[in-house]
Amino acid sequence: MYTLSDTQIDFILNDIRRNGVELEDLRSNLLDHICCIIEQNLEDNGDFEQFYFSTRKMFYKHHLKEIEEETISLMTYKNYYMMKKIMIISGIVSVALMTIGIVLKFQHWPGAGACIVLGVSIISLVFLPLMFLLKIKEQNQLKDKALTGLGTLSAICLTLGVLFKVMHWPGANMLSIIALAFLMFLYLPVYFFSGIRNPDTKTNTIVNAVLIITACGLILTLVRSPQGTKIMEAQITADYLMMDNILKTELILLNKHAATDPLLADSSAEKVFTMCEKMKEEIIFIETGKKKIDPNLNTSQQMIGLTDFHQIIADYPSVSTVYEALKIAAKDYNMKYTKEGLGIHRIDIESPNDKDYKTYDALNRLVKLQLFLLQNERQKE
Amino acid sequence: MNYSSELIKGTLKTIILKLLKDNSRMYGYEITQKVKDLTAGKIQLTEGALYPTLHALEADGILTTETEYIGKRVRKYYSLSSEGNKVSDEKVNEFADFINTMKFLLDIKTGIA
Repeated sequence: MYTLSDTQIDFILNDIRRNGVELEDLRSNLLDHICCIIEQNLEDNGDFEQFYFSTRKMFYKHHLKEIEEETISLMTYKNYYMMKKIMIISGIVSVALMTIGIVLKFQHWPGAGACIVLGVSIISLVFLPLMFLLKIKEQNQLKDKALTGLGTLSAICLTLGVLFKVMHWPGANMLSIIALAFLMFLYLPVYFFSGIRNPDTKTNTIVNAVLIITACGLILTLVRSPQGTKIMEAQITADYLMMDNILKTELILLNKHAATDPLLADSSAEKVFTMCEKMKEEIIFIETGKKKIDPNLNTSQQMIGLTDFHQIIADYPSVSTVYEALKIAAKDYNMKYTKEGLGIHRIDIESPNDKDYKTYDALNRLVKLQLFLLQNERQKE
Repeated sequence: MNYSSELIKGTLKTIILKLLKDNSRMYGYEITQKVKDLTAGKIQLTEGALYPTLHALEADGILTTETEYIGKRVRKYYSLSSEGNKVSDEKVNEFADFINTMKFLLDIKTGIA
């Protein structure tokens, strides 16, 4: 039995490394294996180098690196199946979550948002990227890979865009626009013109192109056009002005009846009324840049926009402070009149926990609240 | 007579898993020697096939490893994981069934029943 010296072991290790075996695990396995063969088979006075090289030769057909290549290919082949499994599972899970989420949403049951967010996130961030990775493994040409990448990217942007829109997160429109632009102006032309030339893929290409255009078209029909937004804004502004006019008239009528200003007589009512007025001014200022709306809308073009109310509360302390003060004033008012048993309606200011609650909803509610106060004063007469 | 490499390739996993089931833990060289001894040299595993398969089985969680230092070099011992135990039985059973099917398919008459 031959005994290997440390220098000889280093020599073998370096030789293996030089021959392109880079996986450390595999290198130490091969080293041990070769050492075992030498120790078992080489005689005590045998020629180490010659025996080593002839032994090494039995390990491969052309070069030693083959073993490493085979190892890597076997291991990635395993990954391939794992990835495929994860892709299928993530697909099923996300579809199930979205289905449950939609059912919950329609039933107004809790948990809908969580299910939908999770479902869409999984499909966008797990399923689609894995699908892309598996797909490009089967494709040889760089052009095909780039096309798949572009398609996946727009699909991810589109799903996330819809998710952001539904959840009222910022950036939703940007994501959707990027997705649709990629899809319509980059992906589709390249896909169509490369696919239509090949007789084998011609029919499929046309069918898929029609489907993509239809899908994009349907999404765009759901989006309000800029013109539509303008018309809608004019409508809500006019509606608000009408409500505000009714309020003003009511106030004049009430003052006519009484000797003194009845609102001023009741400090708690007056406080709520002024707070409402102040809050309206602040909101209108944010929306239009002025504290009052010019009744001549056609010339002033001063429109109330479609801003989310909770967004304004979060972004503008000027509004949120007044809002908090109004809540306290309203509470005082209610306490006073519920105790006296005058049968006056409670005043509800809290905006419902509705993410679609817009500033014009809040404005209209404030006017209604003020009308309510006036009505209560008349009831007391 | 030495068997063709195609035949060995298809059965390599089964051989490794069965050997590890019977011997609890083995290192690469030991496996090749054991197979050579048990088959009287008829089956000789090549290093080029053995190590890639061992590494893939390890990555798959079928095999677990422990390393020991033998002087300056490291020796990696392989043994079956709990999942590997199941897979080993499955592979052996599958192969036994395969032999019966092949016997029938190729119409091989076994001399002594």
